[in-house]
Amino acid sequence: MLNVGVIIKLEPDFSEGNVSYNSDGTLNRAETKNILGPHSAIACNAAFYCKVKYGARISIGTMGPPIAESALKQAQVLTDAEELNLYSDRLFAGADTLATAEVLKNGVEKMFGADKMDIVFSGHRASDGETGQTGPQTAWKLGYTFLGNVMDFDIDLDRKVIVAKRLISLQGMDTIIEEIECPLPVFITIDPSYKSAFSTVSQRLGANKYSKQGRKKSENYAQFLKTYDSQKLDLDPKLVGLPGSPTIVYRVERIPRAKTNRKTAIIDPSNPDNLTPVVTKIIEIARGK
Amino acid sequence: MEQFDVAIVGGGSAGLSALKKLSDLNKSAILIEAGDKIGTKNVSGGILYSKNDPTGRIFNVEDVFGEDFESSAPIERLIKKYYLHATSGNKIFTMDLTPLHEYKTNFGFSVLLNRLNPWFAERASESAEKQGGGIITGVHVSDIQWIENKTIVRTNELEDFQVKSIIAADGINSEVAEITSARSKFNPEEVYFGVKVIIKLPEKIIEERFHLDSSEGSAHLLAGDITLNHVGGGFLYTNRETLSLGAVYHYNSLLSNPVAPAQLVDELIKNPLVSEYIKDEVPTRGENDDLSKEDQLKVQLSVSKLIKTYNDLRYKYFSKNNGGLIESGRFNNTEEIKSRIDSIKQDLTEKYGTKFVNNYVELEYSAKLIPDGKRCVMKRPYYNNVLFIGDAAGRGIFIGPKIEGINVGIDDAVRASIAVSRSIEKNNFDSDYLGNYFQSMINESPYTRQMIKIDEGYLSLFLDLVKDISFSSANPGFEFGLRMMKNKRFRETALRLANILGYKRILPIIESERAYVKVPMQLADKLGKVVTSSYTPEIPALSERIAKLQYNDDTEPHITVNDKRSEFMKKLILLCPTKCYSLEGKDVMLQHEGCVECGTCSIGTRWRHPKGEKGIRYRYG
Repeated sequence: MLNVGVIIKLEPDFSEGNVSYNSDGTLNRAETKNILGPHSAIACNAAFYCKVKYGARISIGTMGPPIAESALKQAQVLTDAEELNLYSDRLFAGADTLATAEVLKNGVEKMFGADKMDIVFSGHRASDGETGQTGPQTAWKLGYTFLGNVMDFDIDLDRKVIVAKRLISLQGMDTIIEEIECPLPVFITIDPSYKSAFSTVSQRLGANKYSKQGRKKSENYAQFLKTYDSQKLDLDPKLVGLPGSPTIVYRVERIPRAKTNRKTAIIDPSNPDNLTPVVTKIIEIARGK
Repeated sequence: MEQFDVAIVGGGSAGLSALKKLSDLNKSAILIEAGDKIGTKNVSGGILYSKNDPTGRIFNVEDVFGEDFESSAPIERLIKKYYLHATSGNKIFTMDLTPLHEYKTNFGFSVLLNRLNPWFAERASESAEKQGGGIITGVHVSDIQWIENKTIVRTNELEDFQVKSIIAADGINSEVAEITSARSKFNPEEVYFGVKVIIKLPEKIIEERFHLDSSEGSAHLLAGDITLNHVGGGFLYTNRETLSLGAVYHYNSLLSNPVAPAQLVDELIKNPLVSEYIKDEVPTRGENDDLSKEDQLKVQLSVSKLIKTYNDLRYKYFSKNNGGLIESGRFNNTEEIKSRIDSIKQDLTEKYGTKFVNNYVELEYSAKLIPDGKRCVMKRPYYNNVLFIGDAAGRGIFIGPKIEGINVGIDDAVRASIAVSRSIEKNNFDSDYLGNYFQSMINESPYTRQMIKIDEGYLSLFLDLVKDISFSSANPGFEFGLRMMKNKRFRETALRLANILGYKRILPIIESERAYVKVPMQLADKLGKVVTSSYTPEIPALSERIAKLQYNDDTEPHITVNDKRSEFMKKLILLCPTKCYSLEGKDVMLQHEGCVECGTCSIGTRWRHPKGEKGIRYRYG
């Protein structure tokens, strides 16, 4: 059996109508609705694919305040996970990506009662942080092979080997898809273009069965939830939270507003004559004037 | 290659019933449906009947899905009254045909298939999963091949798989039928064409207007000048908080006298009886000419929001238990809801100049071909190890006011399931063993008999119902015929003769313009009452109707025109219900994007269903 871990993040819901701002234009985190991050959801889909195709068992982990439970619940709907882990401690506050990776590393090592993991998935970045460093740093700390931007993969269960397609772009070159074969365990950050392809009838039936099961399990998600503080994770307080974060936020600058020179004119379409200047303008632009 | 016992193609009422029944017989089956969800491709009139017949067993919906069907399924209303309205201008003559509706009937519910079929699917997949089967949506079966005694199913989306037998429940435009060449495509003389709109009307208003008790409903058929001289008629069924209003005509009759399908519905809507039935108080935006364009946009936005709140509250206020508004704690009592609605209405009227006028609210426009079982029922509903059921097998009962389709499909499904189950047990899928047995089971069905022979009991009842109508003033010839038929001995002889001649020969007499247009008009003229409507309904243009539909467009068309210059295709320019065809030079060109997959053009085209998840997505059905 394949042991699969997924690292997820609770993020503000940036979809229309759900974002709330403070009067100075910064995000009002208390008022903004939180959801399972969109990239985390894709990582969940990849893990679910492993469950359907290879019969994997899934453990989900997240670092965050107690409300991050809701992200774990949503992830369970997507993955039918056997285990939900919340890494939560006041000591973790103010962590940068490196200090977060320290927590997640110890978290992953405790998944399934410290059974050996085969694959750990994470999103390729968060929608509210966007540095894309947490995944690779966790992989490095775990000592797993790191595969970034994976769009597709296949696992040879007997040989314990994964063949993955990754999207890479090198400066001055077109996008390249690289195919890599490497032994498990691996840490994968999943590319946003990833789509689970269930290509056989059995896989589709399996997907139906597990997603139904996942929805049902998530109704009692607390049964599957384990909460870890820094002690339970055997963490060195110096390596987590603010003390463990080498990043210094020196100054925050707001993104300057782009200068616009657009002018809007509303044209009344009821009078066709009003359209003449519009057409003239389009012709002018087309002729490159 | 993966192997399975049974594949059911198509997740309509018949396919789902087959899955449920087979699973209950402890057999594993998979159902393949092209739509992204169950129900999104299904349309019906529609009334779902449960029937009984002393001459043979009928397998009803409750036999398949459980005795709690009535209490658990999302049915609309129990149809208690059944009327036929003869129309001529503003004159309407109404006949109560309730006894015909009750004839051999346990119950008849109005249904919306996009509500009912997902419920069927839930029950069916629950049973199927226990047997290792289930439902797969978004997959389109594109081919079936028989190679060295193996039956291989090919789809656009999944790897090929092998099965021991197939139940084809893929509707009137069955691709399985075409792939297997088990039957040729249905001809225009073998099918009806139906077009329908769903109209929104608050629950309690429906009950008050149609004089109904809660959860009970009525059905109304219309014939006469509303047919625009076609063989067929209109129907109006009450649902819980909507009305199904539609027109069903013989395709042949439409071909000889082409009329745009939308116009057939419009004609019904314009009829004063119908306009009064569908009437509602509808908010219409006022003009704000004195404001700047930008401000007008802002006002429009707030008006839209207010109207939405108003409508939501009003529909809930007029529904059972006030739509849970009090239960949820949002309001303390009905008066509070009423006063909130009134205050929004006042705001809208006074601040924004919104007018509240009599009109009607259309939710969904749909179209469908319907098999005329009398003419197109498959003589041999099987090919090799493939069994055909429901619409795919051309099975439906449409005789005057007798309109049954879904229940026939369910009965077929049970018979197919029993036959397939027997084959699995003996591991014998030869057509001699499976197909013949299925054929004999189908022949035992009272429905099959009704598609071949006139039911004397039904006819006698009909004659009893019309015996008191004085036709003499309306149509002396008709009255003479009816009087003759009232004589038992004459009737018996006539029926014997008719049944010897068979439906095909006598149908042109029964199903004629005279019976569906002229006699009803004469009746309405002579005996009808004048009905007036208090308003003129604002009928949406076809483009607005199509704009309300949901599609998942495929970049490739699923239809290819055979002969772009044929007379048939030229007629489709008018007859396609969503105007997918237009003339460019001398060629008829297809624009498949608005297609509702009715199959009206199928006889002149290479017609396929769209690939998995693509195409129309009905919300009501």
